[in-house]
Amino acid sequence: MAGEEFFLGEKRFKQCCEDFVKHSQQIGDGWEWRTSKDLGDGYLSKTHFQVRNRHIPPDLKEKNNDNTEQMLFAHVEEPSDDSQAAGACSTEEVVRYEYHVLYSSSYQVPVLYFRACFLDGRPLTLDEIWGSVHASYQARLQEGPWDTITQQEHPILGQPFFVLHPCRTTEFISAVLGGSQQHHRNTNYITLWLSTVGPVVGLNLPLSYARLAPEQSTAVADRALS
Amino acid sequence: MTDDKDVLRDVWFGRIPTCFTLYQDEITEREAEPYYLLLPRISYLTLVTDKVKKHFQKVMRQEEVSEIWFEYEGTPLKWHYPIGLLFDLHASNTALPWSITVHFKNFPEKDLLHCHSKDVIEAHFMACIKEADALKHKSQVINEMQKKDHKQLWMGLQNDKFEQFWAINRKLMEYPPEDNGFRYIPFRIYQATTERPFIQKLFRPIASGGQLHTLGDLLKDVCPSAITPKGGDCWFLMHCTHCSVFPQNLSLR
Repeated sequence: MAGEEFFLGEKRFKQCCEDFVKHSQQIGDGWEWRTSKDLGDGYLSKTHFQVRNRHIPPDLKEKNNDNTEQMLFAHVEEPSDDSQAAGACSTEEVVRYEYHVLYSSSYQVPVLYFRACFLDGRPLTLDEIWGSVHASYQARLQEGPWDTITQQEHPILGQPFFVLHPCRTTEFISAVLGGSQQHHRNTNYITLWLSTVGPVVGLNLPLSYARLAPEQSTAVADRALS
Repeated sequence: MTDDKDVLRDVWFGRIPTCFTLYQDEITEREAEPYYLLLPRISYLTLVTDKVKKHFQKVMRQEEVSEIWFEYEGTPLKWHYPIGLLFDLHASNTALPWSITVHFKNFPEKDLLHCHSKDVIEAHFMACIKEADALKHKSQVINEMQKKDHKQLWMGLQNDKFEQFWAINRKLMEYPPEDNGFRYIPFRIYQATTERPFIQKLFRPIASGGQLHTLGDLLKDVCPSAITPKGGDCWFLMHCTHCSVFPQNLSLR
């Protein structure tokens, strides 16, 4: 595993989040910091809406449990426009995504929590989440879905969220940062990390975040967003 | 060390007598009798209740059955917490057997994680083991183990095999002689009254002066409201499996 540079102390995490939110406010990107009332720790939060095609990739179908078929049929029966009448399995739908960035003291990295629901309030299932993972990451996901995105309890709110596993975070970050780390000493870790892992779950950062840090990280952000 | 092994066995073999009753609004073809079971404290509800599920499904129609979930006095029970922890949090003051209500409809999406297969439980269990080792050994011990060792931990738990489990787990409980203990103590403090599910922080077993930290030190640092001013005994959940009263000067090592 690569060196200590990939790890983040809690103080630095909070500082990076503060700088990140300032920039988000400047460009209207919707991120805010929420502090917990009891212990004073906190997390970044953003909600946005996405239109997506609702379908399950064929490969994951075999690994699915019995509920998948019921889900597909339930969907086809819902009242919708005429294109549905033929029983097509694919349609466009609006999904509300809520992303939280928390700090893991165990792994000393930020962790991405998220939840998603349709406009009628129905939450997406784990299978639907797996299905919506960006195509470039599908191979890795299918190798080990249980190591990558699972449902877990939010450590501050106590509610079910999906989580991108932190042990994989260091893997992703190492792949992006590669060799020498000295260029990145002044980098906003959150920008770097989120621009790398966010796209896996449909979260993209506008390029202007790269201006938060020296130019070396622009190349990184470009690579991550391409 | 023999004392320790006795404690380990007591923790492993702890049981809670439980009475499962079907929720009254579930639609049945015949009356559903309650089902009694001794639940292992260290295991998980969805891992040990296959018989409960079968028992109630016998009196229900297939279309009335979807994902099983459990509730105690109106509170959905989080299957991903060890059974002993659930009991200690919610029902330790009431008489045995523990009365749990079984549901097959209206899964509470906002409260409970889904558990569609045993794979989900295994993934959760292994994630906990890995996180604990990240704290104890910077993940070195767990990462050096082969997949089959990880499997043996899980199978030991699933099949209630103490020796099989501890053959692997003892490696996770060791530290090199030159160190004086783990890097950080893996712990979580659960309180039934808070929205926050648990308190978890970095905490070293050895103080900067070289002396061993005690349980009292940890609580003072992390959850001072749990300590009685006189510094006597306090409630504490050890390894989330076993509720005991410990003296505050108990060494954390």
